[in-house]
Amino acid sequence: MVFFWGAIVFWILAWSANIWIARQKERKLLNLFPPILFGGSVILVWQASVVYFEVSPIILPPPSAIYYKFISSIPILWGDFVQTAIKGALSGYIIGCLVAFTVSLIADKFKFFERGVLPIGNFLAAMPIIGIAPILVMWYGYGWQSKAAVVAVMVFFPILVNTIQGMKMSDKIHRDLMQTYNASYLQTLFKLRLSTAMPFIFNGLKICTTLALIGAIVAEFFGSPIRGMGFRISTEAPRFALDMVWAEITVAAMAGSLFYGGVVLLEKWITFWHPSQR
Amino acid sequence: MSKGSRIGSDNKVLPVVCILTLIVIAWYGFSVVLNAPWEYDKAKRNSITLTTTELVSNTWSQKRPKLPAPHQVVREIWDTTVNKKVTSKRSLVYHGLITFYETIYGFAFGTGLGILLALGIVYNRATAMSVMPWIITSQTIPILAIAPMIVVALGSLGFGGLLPIIIISMYLSFFPVVVGMVKGLKSPEQLEIDQMKTWSASKTQILFKLRAPRSTPYLFTSLKLGMAASLVGAIVGELPSGGGSGLGFRMLSGSTFGNTLHIWSGLFSAAILAGSLIAIISVIQRVVLKRMALEL
Amino acid sequence: MFKFLTFTVGAIVALCASIVSAADNVTVQLKWVTQTQFAGYYVAQDKGFYEAEGLNVTIKAGGPDIGPMSVLAGGGADVAVDWMPSALAAREQGFANVNIAQPFAGSGMMLVCRKDRGVNSVADLKGKNLYVWYFGNEWPFLSWMNKLGLATDGSAGGVSVFRQGWDILPLTTGDANCVSAMSYNEYWQILDAGLKPEDLTVFRYEDEGVATLEDGLYVKEENLSDPAFVDRMVRFVRASMKGWKYAENNTAEAAQIVVDNDDSGSQRLDLNTIQMGEIAKLTAGSNGALSEADFNRTVSSLMTGGSDPVITKMPSGAWSHVITNAALK
Repeated sequence: MVFFWGAIVFWILAWSANIWIARQKERKLLNLFPPILFGGSVILVWQASVVYFEVSPIILPPPSAIYYKFISSIPILWGDFVQTAIKGALSGYIIGCLVAFTVSLIADKFKFFERGVLPIGNFLAAMPIIGIAPILVMWYGYGWQSKAAVVAVMVFFPILVNTIQGMKMSDKIHRDLMQTYNASYLQTLFKLRLSTAMPFIFNGLKICTTLALIGAIVAEFFGSPIRGMGFRISTEAPRFALDMVWAEITVAAMAGSLFYGGVVLLEKWITFWHPSQR
Repeated sequence: MSKGSRIGSDNKVLPVVCILTLIVIAWYGFSVVLNAPWEYDKAKRNSITLTTTELVSNTWSQKRPKLPAPHQVVREIWDTTVNKKVTSKRSLVYHGLITFYETIYGFAFGTGLGILLALGIVYNRATAMSVMPWIITSQTIPILAIAPMIVVALGSLGFGGLLPIIIISMYLSFFPVVVGMVKGLKSPEQLEIDQMKTWSASKTQILFKLRAPRSTPYLFTSLKLGMAASLVGAIVGELPSGGGSGLGFRMLSGSTFGNTLHIWSGLFSAAILAGSLIAIISVIQRVVLKRMALEL
Repeated sequence: MFKFLTFTVGAIVALCASIVSAADNVTVQLKWVTQTQFAGYYVAQDKGFYEAEGLNVTIKAGGPDIGPMSVLAGGGADVAVDWMPSALAAREQGFANVNIAQPFAGSGMMLVCRKDRGVNSVADLKGKNLYVWYFGNEWPFLSWMNKLGLATDGSAGGVSVFRQGWDILPLTTGDANCVSAMSYNEYWQILDAGLKPEDLTVFRYEDEGVATLEDGLYVKEENLSDPAFVDRMVRFVRASMKGWKYAENNTAEAAQIVVDNDDSGSQRLDLNTIQMGEIAKLTAGSNGALSEADFNRTVSSLMTGGSDPVITKMPSGAWSHVITNAALK
């Protein structure tokens, strides 16, 4: 009882602190506090509510239970992470990116192809993963290959669209300059157009980081060896080990955020010249 | 600039048809390749040898093909849409309508939530700093894992039926709307905001007369993404809901019984549904932006 | 905003309405999609057996992502059809559920293997790709592997286990040596797909001594202290068993009733008719009451599951004859 109202009070205090921080001048370290305070208060209220309202652990476990499960299952969680995120999501992401780049280069050279491929790609992207995943598992078997295939399909269209858009971004005056230098198509491509396309390409890459992980997890629902994040989530849930399910979800959230953060860092390094990075 | 780069639908028909034809031809070819192993397997067990024509025609008419031939998919879709009453449970239209309702409601709620959050983020720095990172993190949580929990939790509170599915659909569609609207609401330049202030415009007036109109292009792009996300959410939400209906459930039951034709017909219907909904938004976008003279 | 309000108001009204008429309402959550595996309940509804008992029964179909125990725990149903291992595991995890009836005396679970992929007897299982469902169906398999001394964690000398999806395609077009199948459902799908019985080696869990009790009726333990609830359950079980016996004797009609009640429109009459015939073999041995001997057999099988036993403690109070005693008088 006390704990519950204490948690509510904490939320209010944390929010007030956030408002105060927001009013200060922008400082890198201070910027970390609001999300942490907000997240912390949510978790505290969650813990307090579960205890106060005596929510059954098979409906929603308290954060403390999830934490203990997480700590005690690191080997299993790590194995699942490698299976799903590295073997499945990462490889599929790379394959999807490479295929999308190739197709967009072709689309860039041949406008006819571009006008045809975009509407079709739109249609393909509208196909829900719930339908694509079982088909790809049927084709590529139960191993990580089918998961990579699902991820590649999911990731293909956003990167294609963003890359094609990006390739159009170079200024006419710059391209004219390259022409006065008698640059070939390939030289113009590598020395000018790819660089100006990078901001858009990274836009696509960032969107696809979360899609990739989710694609790999969903694909595992349709058949997998007995490890992997999707496998663990779908089998622990009916066993009522919801603390394990939430531990896996935490791993997924962490992995997705790390992946996204990694791409953001890469973007900062490569497109340091762009206004948005200053 | 190259001649053919105007955005006009008449310029797209020929390329699309060409590429489609190539895809269909390749599809028939792959059908043979992917379905052949099963044919050989069957033939070996029945101790018969297949001629090439037999192999080809067999692979294009299997009952549970790994890759159904295009005509099989078309026939299946035709069969379950035109040849069935709309109210029949075997009609794709019936299931499509259910998914459609879930999508539309989820989309409406998601857009509403997204706009509210965007307003909060743009106008309140505390909200922006605390909530935005968590909104992004929320999308890294696999919805397929949360969906059953949402269904059970809502069921325990007495809310069954389509509501959990709509909540799940809303969960996926609010994110593009938040991101797009934040960008859009922030898009007017400081110069323009200052000018509004010189005209002693109140905050509400700045919102409605400057920020909101300026954000409409971003809004429409986000609405298109949000609509696609709503459909995905609706389909994912149907799986744990036990309603037994909707396109998602139909694809899943096809997968359960190895009825691959059901999966493919469901897949195409979902894509067609998504495409039509997005096309409707595109039309509305063109009309609205033209009237606002903001056509991009 | 208006839409949201109408929705919420509508939901609240529906909730109130359901509370008011709760007296004779029963919601039953099935373990899987609509098929003759649950014929007894559909037949009882269609033939008016529930109505004759004064009950208004809502049958909720299950599916791949629906756990009957979760729905029961969440209050989405009054009674759920589930397999005993899943119910006992849930009980140990903290959800107090009780078995009130056991229409299925026999177990239909089997491992179906292909002779041409090298499996002709139990000794051939080593090193093969075995596909097993999870979702609560993996316990008999794990017990069996433990009994045979075959490791399932991928170590040498064991078997490679894969979490089977919901179809039997790995056996036909995939690379499985064996897949899990129910005698009444997937086995016939395998035959329907083109394999013949002589191509297959079939291991029945009953014959291997590792079978566990399957479809039974479970309720929340706390509800059993409510006399009105107990009375509703007694009437429900009585009418359901009547439905089961009718279905056993009228398989074709039962199959038709089930297919007519299928919301997804994917069920086939031919497969369901065969399924009904096979189900009848499993229900024939039971009048609805749980046999304590069967219960003990299941429990001992689950507690010896090797490295990962299903349950670690002998369950107490997991079943009750209170309902069946009254219903089958």
